[in-house]
Amino acid sequence: MYAPLLTNRYLTSRIIPLIAAGAVTLCVALVIVVVSVMTGFLDMVRGSGKTLIGDVVVSRSISGIPYYEEFIRDVEALPQAEAASPIVETFGLMQMPYGTGDGGSQIETVQVWGIDPASLDRVADYHSKLYWTKPSPELAKTLAPDDPRLDPMYQRDAEGLALKTRDGQPGLVLGIEISPFNRRTADGTYRTEGDFGTQDAGHFMPNTSGATLTLVPVSDRGSLGGEKKRRFAIVNELQSGVYQIDAQRVLAPLDVVQEMLRLDKAPIVSPTEVDDNGRPKVIGESPARATTIVIKAKPGVSAIALRDAVEVAYKDFALRVAADPSRKVKVPLRAIVATWEERLADLIGPVEKERELMRTLFSIVYVVCAALVLAIFWAIVQEKTRDIGILRAVGASRKGVLWIFLRYGMMIGVVGSALGVLLAWAIISRINDIHAMLGTPAALWLKILAWSAVAGAVAMTVRGARRASALQTVLWLFGTLGLAGVATALLFHRGFLIWDPSVYYFSRIPSEMDWVTAGTTVIGGIIFSIVGASIPAAHAADTDPVQSLRYE
Amino acid sequence: MLLAAEHVKKTYHLGRVSVPVLRDASISVREGEWVTIVGSSGSGKSTLLHLLGGLDRADKESGPVLFAGEDLRKFDARRENRYRNHDVGFVFQFYHLLPELTVLENAMLPALVGLSRWRWYSTRSALRARAAELLATCGLSHRLEHRPAELSGGERQRVAITRALINKPRVLLADEPTGNLDIHTGSGILDLLAERHREGLTTVMVTHDAAVAARAQRQVRIVDGCVV
Repeated sequence: MYAPLLTNRYLTSRIIPLIAAGAVTLCVALVIVVVSVMTGFLDMVRGSGKTLIGDVVVSRSISGIPYYEEFIRDVEALPQAEAASPIVETFGLMQMPYGTGDGGSQIETVQVWGIDPASLDRVADYHSKLYWTKPSPELAKTLAPDDPRLDPMYQRDAEGLALKTRDGQPGLVLGIEISPFNRRTADGTYRTEGDFGTQDAGHFMPNTSGATLTLVPVSDRGSLGGEKKRRFAIVNELQSGVYQIDAQRVLAPLDVVQEMLRLDKAPIVSPTEVDDNGRPKVIGESPARATTIVIKAKPGVSAIALRDAVEVAYKDFALRVAADPSRKVKVPLRAIVATWEERLADLIGPVEKERELMRTLFSIVYVVCAALVLAIFWAIVQEKTRDIGILRAVGASRKGVLWIFLRYGMMIGVVGSALGVLLAWAIISRINDIHAMLGTPAALWLKILAWSAVAGAVAMTVRGARRASALQTVLWLFGTLGLAGVATALLFHRGFLIWDPSVYYFSRIPSEMDWVTAGTTVIGGIIFSIVGASIPAAHAADTDPVQSLRYE
Repeated sequence: MLLAAEHVKKTYHLGRVSVPVLRDASISVREGEWVTIVGSSGSGKSTLLHLLGGLDRADKESGPVLFAGEDLRKFDARRENRYRNHDVGFVFQFYHLLPELTVLENAMLPALVGLSRWRWYSTRSALRARAAELLATCGLSHRLEHRPAELSGGERQRVAITRALINKPRVLLADEPTGNLDIHTGSGILDLLAERHREGLTTVMVTHDAAVAARAQRQVRIVDGCVV
């Protein structure tokens, strides 16, 4: 019964356990903040990377998948799949509606996706990636007054969703980073600015004369067909959240891209026979093709389960077509079926590795935590040697003495870790506010307050020196130096942004607490506190009572 | 014989140097007796008291220390702890109170050590009452919630005596209980011990002060580690 009483008294009557708990708090908070931000960053990359590709992707480049409508029907009949959409992927050149400054037009290399907006919307919320749309009332409240999206002229929902102009002509949706006139602001929104850095509707891409897209069809054998050029209106812009996508991707209507790449429906003619008109005889029809099918899983179905089902469905589909003599074109027996994570491995992999590296590096903090607790406990046990002798003299067992100090270590671990979680939560939930505060110059009242504190500290240092108190003088001297450093920093602080959204692309620092990491870090903090306490505790338990009583 | 040491030897090993403190010390104490061990500083009297109290162990080739016929050398850890907790009570020259505990808690410490959590909950009221009563008999009823640092030397020693008696031990072992006190306060402490002795408590006390030793029924002199 004495162990809890003594543990409680040791914890509450000394400053040294507070220092130990403070060390654990800082270690735990540090690990949680770093890993949570990294996990949030990874989640943002994953969430953004998944943009427009659903859960599972079936791809067959160049020649594409014929009879893809039939395959999509097969897939949508699967119990694991909710919807599927065809895409034609290729690269092309785009002549932009602005010049290079020397008389020529700017040419961009772009990644072109021919899409069916309606089905892609069902698979991947296509509409939510369009940037120039009417903001919801909730979003509108958060936007800056000069945000162009508040102006109906910039709201191009219908055109973007249909990939058509108001008069029904096929249109393009460009990645929002393609146009150099789209300036990303500190809050992650865009302004369309002209050459003089002011808002200019004339440089708003949908208001321009449009762009000319050049695609080159490629045959199965790798030979190039003649290039196909076509002029399009720009109907909207796309923001996926991944810079690589937003700086390169162009969306165009599926049928137009199929036609330009010669992946559309076409008659098959006999190389030897001619018809009544003397033209090559039509002996069948080559179906339209899609190079990619993106598929959305039903709620509760994992991407892996869907991928496995789609693999089987694709094989059945290819064999069925192969067995049908009426079909002149066969379906390739092999296509790549991958989950979205497998498809984006090159994007997600490095960030995941960075997170694990950070987790590992910062886990060294645990060892620091254990070493701190060990050092502090060693000092505590040394200080308590006589108490240990007294306890042993009145009949306390070795186990009992060991338990007092282990319990002491555990309490420091529990209290320190709990405070660490609170501190981490406070930092993470306010990380963007803290960042914003760092980004703005210090207020005048804060500077005055800081310098007043410096003056107060100087006065206390002088007072300590006059009273010939070395401790007071030294403490206040350090306090003066520290406060003077803070006050000087505030005086010259003009505001700096560590996380510049225009550089890092994500508009906000991830501010979601990673509770799994918090849980494991708390357990780690407690375990390492107990480990740190166990050696001095065992030493205390082994101490001979007479030696302890004689200890000076 | 309640407590006895028969030809005990004790050598301290300080690195390569061996210091024989007790060479051949024998003592026997009858139930209810007050015996004082006297001797000069470094003669081994405190070491003998520590051996009697089970705080230290004699050399391997030493004779036994017996409590009510039981050989302390044969005690396992559990029995040894119980012996220190229940059979004997210790009073030290420097009081050795725990500074974080109050006077009442210090006085109850051996009882707390000997009780399980469940027994503590069932007996705490009675135990508190007994500790408070004992402290009151020592004139400390107004100091129950004070910390040792707030007490005088004499008051601290009275708390230490209360602590030694809380478990109603059969033997009280006191190591220079007045050695750190002025004559007047020391005399008060001796009066307290004498009163307990009159109530039947067997007492073994170490002192180098002849006047203090004279309060006992019997004196045992120890010179250079041998009882003479």
